[in-house]
Amino acid sequence: MTGRSMLRLAFVIFVVLMVQQTVMVAVRIDGYHPDLLWLLPITAALLDGPETGAIVGFWSGLAFDLTLPTPFGLSALVGCLLGYAVGSLTQAVDPRAAWLKPVAALTGSVGADMLFAVLGAILGQQQMVQVDFLTLFAVVGVASLVCVLPVSRLMRWALVGESNRRSLVTAQADSRLW
Amino acid sequence: MARTRRSRRTLTVIVLVIVSLSLISLDQNGRTHSLTSGIKSVANDIYAPLRQGIVDIINPIGHFFAGAFDYGSVQSQNEQLEKVIGQLRANQAERGFEQSQLRQLMALENLPFLQSLTTVPAQTVDLNLSNFTATITLNKGRADGVDVGYPVVGAGGLVGQVIQSFHHTCVVQLITDGQSKVGVTFGNQLTGIVDGQGPGNDLTLDLVPPHTPVYKGQILYTSGLQAATFPPGIPVATVESFHNEAGASQESITVDPAANLDELAYVDVVQWEPPT
Repeated sequence: MTGRSMLRLAFVIFVVLMVQQTVMVAVRIDGYHPDLLWLLPITAALLDGPETGAIVGFWSGLAFDLTLPTPFGLSALVGCLLGYAVGSLTQAVDPRAAWLKPVAALTGSVGADMLFAVLGAILGQQQMVQVDFLTLFAVVGVASLVCVLPVSRLMRWALVGESNRRSLVTAQADSRLW
Repeated sequence: MARTRRSRRTLTVIVLVIVSLSLISLDQNGRTHSLTSGIKSVANDIYAPLRQGIVDIINPIGHFFAGAFDYGSVQSQNEQLEKVIGQLRANQAERGFEQSQLRQLMALENLPFLQSLTTVPAQTVDLNLSNFTATITLNKGRADGVDVGYPVVGAGGLVGQVIQSFHHTCVVQLITDGQSKVGVTFGNQLTGIVDGQGPGNDLTLDLVPPHTPVYKGQILYTSGLQAATFPPGIPVATVESFHNEAGASQESITVDPAANLDELAYVDVVQWEPPT
């Protein structure tokens, strides 16, 4: 990853963090709010493969961990695993497939929340599995579907010039699908 | 070539996972917890003013659009009349909001259960930053004399406890959080533990032997027993329902928070530490 990409990536993480903490936490449905964090590793993995997905997931998770009352490092761990999993599982899929981003956003976000809760419980935070998972998954899933496009655009801008497989898809070709 | 890239990728992920696990273990370890909370504190001192600045910018824009949508829908019917009604409603809502805040502040002025304990009045600036915790963020921190472990009360009773304290803000774990446990006393020297069950779920009263006499509406107070993390005599919850199941080792009791946790615009942080 180039120095310029890193700076852009840091900016994108900061923007998404601020949107999450100022706008998304205010959008509450039955007590639960959307979670944009997971979209960062998902979109990075779709654009640039599992390694970039894992790196973006780690750093974005770490940035979010600084502001959350949950165990420090937990979001970084889940983000890293999520980015790697999404990148690995979608490697054989045509990146231009119209269904790829929404399906990855929906399943990735829900899966990440589930993993986050289970790992939190294993670390002694039993309350993390005492939530209404159906409502949580519905809120997080729908919000991820809605927000995956703008976050993907931001991530494409951040990772422009990266040399891995996904970046070979031109922005113009990909934008036609959306 | 492909194998080398795959090996590098695997190595990167393994390193990141190990670093994450190390950070988690540092945070969980009592001795190194201060290191991670220090990092969080520094980050929060930088992040909090930025966040507040963005909120200050976003709020008026949000209010503008909300007002525009409401106003536009009625303008087609009777522009002038609706304008007047809109203004009256806005005034009324504003007055209602101010009265509600004043009522909360007045209620905090004379909390009988605090007696001579000193308090720091604080305003809530955030609610539940994570979907998995029941917490609020207050606009007072270490610089204002707020430290980790201090109880937080609102009109009606106990709200929670400070779990993170930064320079100018702090995070309070509400009594509804799944990690919250409060030792209480009720009736004739009876004791139990009020146990949080996570956001949106009822509280339970645990460790009460079967067939212990309780009644609906009975108030539970902090016990203040040895090693208690709260001073004695603060109302915590009221009994909502109870029943005894055959063969159960304890009575099944559901309780409601004594403080109104839906109205936490202002709270008091009690500067109290457990006696050593």
